[in-house]
Amino acid sequence: MFKNYLKIAYRNLMRNKSFSLINISGLAVGMASAILIFLWIHNEISYDQFHEKKDRIYEAWNRDVFSGKLQCWNTTPKVLARTLEKDFPEVESAVRVNWPSSFLLSIGEKNFAGRGNMVDSLFFDMFTIPFVKGNSQTALKETYSIVITETFAKTLFGNEEPMGKTIRIDNKDNFTVTAVVKDAPNNTRFRFDYIMPWSYLRKQGNDDEYWGNNSTRTYVLLKPNASLASINEKMKTLRKTYDSDEPKGEMFLYPISRWRLYSKFENGKESGGLIEFVRMFSIIAIFLLLIACINFMNLSTARSERRAKEVGIRKVVGASKFSLIGQFLGESILIAFISGVLAIIIVQLSLPAFNKLTDKILFIDYSNAYSWLFFIGFILFTGMIAGSYPAFYLSAFKPVKVLKGTFQKTRALITPRRVLVVLQFTFAIILIISTIIVKEQIHYAKNRETGYDKNKLAYMFIVGDIEKNYELIKNELLSSGTAVSITKTSAPMTQGWSDTWGIEWEGKAKDDKTDFDRFCADDHLATTVGLQMVAGRDFDLKKYNTDSSAVLLNESAVKAMGFKDPLGKTIRDNGKEWHVVGVFKDFILQSPFFPTKPMVIEGAKGWFNVMHIKYNDKNNMAANVKSTEAIVKKYNPMYTFEHQFVDDEYNTKFKAEQRTGTLATLFAGLTIFISCLGLFGLAAYTAESRIKEIGVRKVLGASITSITSLLSKDFIKLVLISFVIASPIAWWLMYNWLQNYPYRISIHWWIFLAAALTSIAIALITVSYHAIRAAKANPVKSLRTE
Amino acid sequence: MINITNLEKVYRTDEVETIALNKLSIEIKKGEFVAVMGPSGCGKSTLLNILGLLDDPDAGSFVFNGTEIAKYNERQRAELRKHNIGFVFQSFNLIDELTVFENVELPLIYTGVKASERKQKVDEVLEKVQIMHRRNHYPQQLSGGQQQRVAVARAVVNNPKLILADEPTGNLDSSNGNEVMELLTNLNEQGTTIIMVTHSEHDARYSHRIIRMLDGQTVTENILI
Ligand SMILES: Nc1ncnc2c1ncn2[C@@H]1O[C@H](COP(=O)(O)OP(=O)(O)OP(=O)(O)O)[C@@H](O)[C@H]1O
Ligand SMILES: [Mg+2]
Repeated sequence: MFKNYLKIAYRNLMRNKSFSLINISGLAVGMASAILIFLWIHNEISYDQFHEKKDRIYEAWNRDVFSGKLQCWNTTPKVLARTLEKDFPEVESAVRVNWPSSFLLSIGEKNFAGRGNMVDSLFFDMFTIPFVKGNSQTALKETYSIVITETFAKTLFGNEEPMGKTIRIDNKDNFTVTAVVKDAPNNTRFRFDYIMPWSYLRKQGNDDEYWGNNSTRTYVLLKPNASLASINEKMKTLRKTYDSDEPKGEMFLYPISRWRLYSKFENGKESGGLIEFVRMFSIIAIFLLLIACINFMNLSTARSERRAKEVGIRKVVGASKFSLIGQFLGESILIAFISGVLAIIIVQLSLPAFNKLTDKILFIDYSNAYSWLFFIGFILFTGMIAGSYPAFYLSAFKPVKVLKGTFQKTRALITPRRVLVVLQFTFAIILIISTIIVKEQIHYAKNRETGYDKNKLAYMFIVGDIEKNYELIKNELLSSGTAVSITKTSAPMTQGWSDTWGIEWEGKAKDDKTDFDRFCADDHLATTVGLQMVAGRDFDLKKYNTDSSAVLLNESAVKAMGFKDPLGKTIRDNGKEWHVVGVFKDFILQSPFFPTKPMVIEGAKGWFNVMHIKYNDKNNMAANVKSTEAIVKKYNPMYTFEHQFVDDEYNTKFKAEQRTGTLATLFAGLTIFISCLGLFGLAAYTAESRIKEIGVRKVLGASITSITSLLSKDFIKLVLISFVIASPIAWWLMYNWLQNYPYRISIHWWIFLAAALTSIAIALITVSYHAIRAAKANPVKSLRTE
Repeated sequence: MINITNLEKVYRTDEVETIALNKLSIEIKKGEFVAVMGPSGCGKSTLLNILGLLDDPDAGSFVFNGTEIAKYNERQRAELRKHNIGFVFQSFNLIDELTVFENVELPLIYTGVKASERKQKVDEVLEKVQIMHRRNHYPQQLSGGQQQRVAVARAVVNNPKLILADEPTGNLDSSNGNEVMELLTNLNEQGTTIIMVTHSEHDARYSHRIIRMLDGQTVTENILI
C-alpha cells in the first residue's frame, strides 16, 4: 500500500511540475530559514550548559541604588572570592576571571598577539574545558605557567610539541606551557587563546583588597545541596560587614543557567534580555515555516477539483478515509523530504553569510545522531503540518458527489484558502513595516549631530614604548605635516570608560548621586577632535601651565552642578582639584540612541591610554596612515601598528540596530518570496479554473484589461485585508521596540502607506502574469475543451 | 440477498426539495441479473448509490445478506463495500495517474492482499477481459471500450458478490457495448449478482428481470426468464 502511495505521489509530482516546483522551493526556503534560526536558538540556549558542574556554578552580582534607580552589575571586588570561601561554608570554591589582557607574546624573535585571561587556579576545576595535554590539577600551580588552546598552540609552535616550551610575556617574563586545552566551543562566554594564573596578576601589583574597586568577575561553585536562597540572604549584608564606602550595596549569586539569556536587570529584577530575541526568532521561524506550509495547503486544496475524482474512485473500490489521509500525508511528507534535502543544501551554502550577520560560528554537526533525528523529525513535522489540512479536506469528499460531477467549488466569502493567504500577507506586511521603521530609526540616529568632528580623526592605543616616546612621536607627526593636531585621552572618543558620582563642587547637595562621564585629555583636545566650545577655551599647556589641572565641562554638567558662571570654578575629583577653563556642547560619547550625560574632561594630570590624531587633509589619507605607521614603528618597534578611524568606530555603535535591520529585511524578503510563490500558484489555478468563464466573457467582448483586473481583484482585496490586520500589530510591535531608544523617531503614517503600496505592487506583479496570460488566450481554444 | 423496503431519499438544496426515492421496495436474490430502467431523473442512480453503500437512505430498511445496514456509518459501509461490491460507471472512472494494472490492483491493495497474490489475480482478470497486452498503459492511451473493460476488471478482481453497473455502455458504441455486456453475462453465469442501470432495451435483454421506475418508485417488473 505504501509503495502505491509513493508511486502516485511521485507521478503527481512529475505530472504537475510547476506546482511541485512552487511547493518544493517554497518549503525548502521556509525549512532552510527555520533550520538556520534553530541553529542560532540552539546555540543561544546551550550557552555554558555543557559544564559538568553547571547546577552548582554561580556568578557574584551586585545590587545597589544609583541616581535613584536600583541597578545590578556583575563586576566585583577582587577580595570577594577569598571572602566568600572564608565566610560561607556552602561555598566550595570561588574563582576570579579578570578582563581579557592583550599581552605581547614572544617566542624567540617572533611576536604574537592573543586574548587571554588571568584566573584563579581552580578555574579548570569549576568549568569543564577538556585538556588535550597536561591536567587541571597542575596547569596553573606555578606563577609562570600558561595554558594555551589547541589552535593557539598551532599558531605559536606549528607542529612542534608545545608542552614545556617557553613564551615570553611583554618582553619581561618567561612562561612555561603547562597544558593544552581544546578550543572553546561556540557556546561559551569563556573565550580565550591562553590562560595565566592569578598569581601573576598579583606579582604585577594589580591585585588589591579594596572593596570599592569593582574590577573583576567572581564565579562561585557551591557545595552539593547548598541552599541558594539562604546564601543569597547572607550575601545581602556582605558589604555592610566589609565595605565602608557602600555598606548598603547588596550582593547575590546568579545561576549559570540564566547568565546568557536573562541577565538584563531593571529595577533590580530580571527583565528581558537575550531571551526576548530567542522568543522572537522562534516565532519568526515558526511563521516562516508555516507560511511555506500554507503554500502547500493552498495549492493542494486549489487542485482538489482535479483530485476529487481520484478520491471518489479510491473510496468506491474500498479505500477508507483513514487510508486516504495516509496517502495524502505521505505525499506531503515526500515533498517535505525533497524540500528538506534542498533546505540542508541551502543552509550549508548560506551559513557563512548568516554567521557573519549574527556574529557567530554556527554549523550543522553531521556526526551527531541527534542532528539526524532532529532533521527527520523536522521533515515529518513539516510534512504533517503542510499535509494535514489538504489530507482531511480531500479525504472527506463524498464519492457520489464527485463522481457524478456535481462537485461544486465553494463560492463562500470566507474560505480557508483566503484566510491562509491573508495570514501570509499579514505576516509579510508586518515585516515590511518593521523593516522600514528599523531603517528609519537607524537613519535618524545616524544623522544626529555627534558634537565633534569625526572627519580625518584617528586614534591608537598607547602601548609598549609609545608612552615613553609620546612627545617624540607627536612632534614628528606634526612636523612632518602628517597631522595637524594631536591629543592624548583616557579613552577613545567613542567609548565611555569611566564614570563617577564622586565629583564634588561648591553647593552640591548631600544626597546628589549624579553620575558623570569622566574623560581625560592633555592638550588641544577641542582643536583635535573639533569640540564646540560655548564658553571659555581649550586646554593649552604651552600658554597656561596650570592647565594640567584644568577641566572642561559639557553643558549638561554645568546644569547638573548648577553653575551660573562656570569658568574659574573649582571641582574635586579623585582627591584632586580641577579648575574649569571651558564649557563645550554635549557630544555623543556612548550610544547615539541615548541622551548625553553630564561630562567632565580633566586635564594633563589625568591618566591616558589613547592618542588621537587629526590628519592633515592636504595629504591623501593612505599616505597619512603610512607615514604614521613608519613614525610609530620607529619609536615602538615591538608592537604591530594598530590604528582606527573614529568614523569607523562610531559606525559600530549602530551594529546591533543594523543587524536587526538586516535581519528584518531578510525575514521580510523571505516571507514575501514564499508568500508570492504561493500566490503565483494560486493565480495559476484560478486562471485555469475560470478558463471557460474567461472565454465566454471574451466572446462577449470583454477587454484584456477588464479580465486581468477581474482575476487580480480578488487577490488585491486579500492583501488589503491583510494590511488592515497587520498595521496595528506592526505599530504595536515597533512602538515597543522604539521605547528602547530615548532618541527615537515617531511612527509616521507614510510608513504604512509605503508598506501598503509595496505589498499591493508585489501582489499585483505576482498575480498579473497568469491573469494576463489567461486574458490573452484565444477563447476558441478554452471553449473547445469542454 | 438484497431486501429494501419503503426506502426514501430526499435531496434538499436551498429551496427545492427533490424526492429521488419514494417508499421504494425491491427484493433481489443471489445470482440474479437485474436491469433498472426509467426516464432521466427518476432515481435510478440514486438507488444504485444506496445499494452500493456510497450513500445512505433517509428512511426505510435495507437488508444486505440478512443484516440491516440502513443505519451503518461511513466506516462500516466502506468495510462492507470493499469486500462485497464492485462498481462499473458510465464514465469508466479510472485513475489517470495509474496504469491499467495498477488501477485493477487498487481494490486488492485496500483489502490487504499480498503483492504476489495481487499480481496473479490482476493478470487473471486482465486476461479474462482481454486487455492483458495493455497492462502497462495509462487510461488515456486506451479506447472507451478498453477503458470500460478495465473498469469491469477492476470491479470483479476482488470476487465481489454484487456488481453494480450504472449505464456501463452509455459511452460506448454498440460493438464495444456488446463486449461489455457479454463480460457481465459471463460473470453472472459464474454466480455474481448484477444490478445494471441502462437506457438501452437492447442491453436490458441480457438481464433476467427489468425493474421500471418512475418518480422514485417502481412501476412494473418484467421477468424475462
Ligand atoms: N446531489 C443532488 N442534489 C439535489 N438533487 C439531486 C442530487 N442528485 C440527484 N438529484 C435529483 O434526484 C433525482 C434523481 O436523480 P438520479 O441521478 O437518481 O436520476 P437518474 O434516474 O439516474 O437519471 P439519469 O437517467 O439522467 O441518470 C433527480 O431529480 C435529480 O435532479
Ligand atoms: Mg443516472
